[in-house]
Amino acid sequence: MIDRTKKLIVVTDLRKRFGELEVLRGISQTVCEGEVVSIIGPSGSGKSTFLRCLNLLERPDSGSIVFDGEEITGGRVKIDAFRQKIGMVFQHFNVFPHLTVLENVTLAPVLEKGMKKDDARALAEDLLKRVGLFDKRDEYPTRLSGGQKQRLAIVRALAMEPRVILFDEPTSALDPEMVKEVLDVISELARSGMTILIVTHEMGFARRVSDRVLFIDEGQILEEGTPEELFDDPKTPRCRDFLNKVLY
Amino acid sequence: MLSTIAAIWQKYGYVYIQGAWGTVYIAVLTVLFGTILGTALSFVRLSRFRALQSVIRLYVWVLRGTPSLLQIYFFYFFVPKYLPFDMSERACIILALVVNASAYVEEIIRAGIQAVDRGQNEAARSLGLTARHTMTRVILPQAVKNILPALGNEFIVMIKEASLASIFFIVEITSAFKTVQSATFITIPALMISGGLYLGLTTVLSAGMKLAEKRLRNND
Repeated sequence: MIDRTKKLIVVTDLRKRFGELEVLRGISQTVCEGEVVSIIGPSGSGKSTFLRCLNLLERPDSGSIVFDGEEITGGRVKIDAFRQKIGMVFQHFNVFPHLTVLENVTLAPVLEKGMKKDDARALAEDLLKRVGLFDKRDEYPTRLSGGQKQRLAIVRALAMEPRVILFDEPTSALDPEMVKEVLDVISELARSGMTILIVTHEMGFARRVSDRVLFIDEGQILEEGTPEELFDDPKTPRCRDFLNKVLY
Repeated sequence: MLSTIAAIWQKYGYVYIQGAWGTVYIAVLTVLFGTILGTALSFVRLSRFRALQSVIRLYVWVLRGTPSLLQIYFFYFFVPKYLPFDMSERACIILALVVNASAYVEEIIRAGIQAVDRGQNEAARSLGLTARHTMTRVILPQAVKNILPALGNEFIVMIKEASLASIFFIVEITSAFKTVQSATFITIPALMISGGLYLGLTTVLSAGMKLAEKRLRNND
């Protein structure tokens, strides 16, 4: 599934500080087309900030990000056009409460890609069927459970037909019984060949779906490898210590 | 008491009616232009222009920190003396009320926009929505729900503030009371008619705002 010849995201020496605190201390990483990369690490280690730099929700202080052959940091790129190609799913869903389920999905394709309303509707209905939300298409999000909201958020991102989707702790705000339905959707996406970067605390999930796992601590990638390498035989003491604490 | 009120109304009802129209006229213009100006100011305040932001902060600070009556005196004396065009007394007072109202409206709208969860902005922008579309299609529709109740209160304040125009004998409800009182030397009943008219206006306005809020609430 992974096309090693197609480098989708190339990050070089990314740095970011919030005031006194240096959150990212030189991160370099290449993500290929079709690759599923999990990012794990302690709270406050910079995992989310790294992810949020990739679509410039946070402006990195230095370093470069090349997306699909185009440098997006520093220069004057059309940031909105480029963000269309990078989907993002948030911990707190951030679905639009004033729009119906269907409108949540069709808003961006119609406004920014000039898609015809009927086409967008057909696309949205197809996607909603895939995640089992078709019956809810005319409801407002307040009528949805957390798991349903997150599935809606995923569909909303997919409707823009992005090249990659960034998941920022997508199950951390969910009730335990709803975690699986969301992870199932993400697994299915991974199997379909979508390029995925996911910050997660679900170690079992990371192990099962990832091609590669990154361990970030104090703003640096301390260790990376296949799930087997990283989970079964962590090299650094910090990673070993972290896994000892989170794996039960 | 009731018979006195009825008698006054019979003889001087037209004065009150004129006064009521005067108040409605002043209030409608204040609400309309105060809201337009206040909205524009809040957009500038939320924009990236640092210098303009400070100017607006100063504007709001002065207008909220001084009495409306003082501001009306200022415009009443300032405009005819220093501005090259002629304005009626009533226009000067309306201008003062508009400027005063705009400062409060600016605060209400800015707070309403800022109260919308930051995640909404991030979600919209990361879908590739432009800043403009994010504002008009995602943030504002949600902010309106925060803004409307506070704005309704402000409209009621504006109706009542129009009574300050009576100091300059501009036709409105409180002036009507003064006129009738000085003609009849009957105070309390004359006052009660004015009070009733204000209550009528503000009640109608409140009901209208409630209705608008209810319609907006339908989807959550």
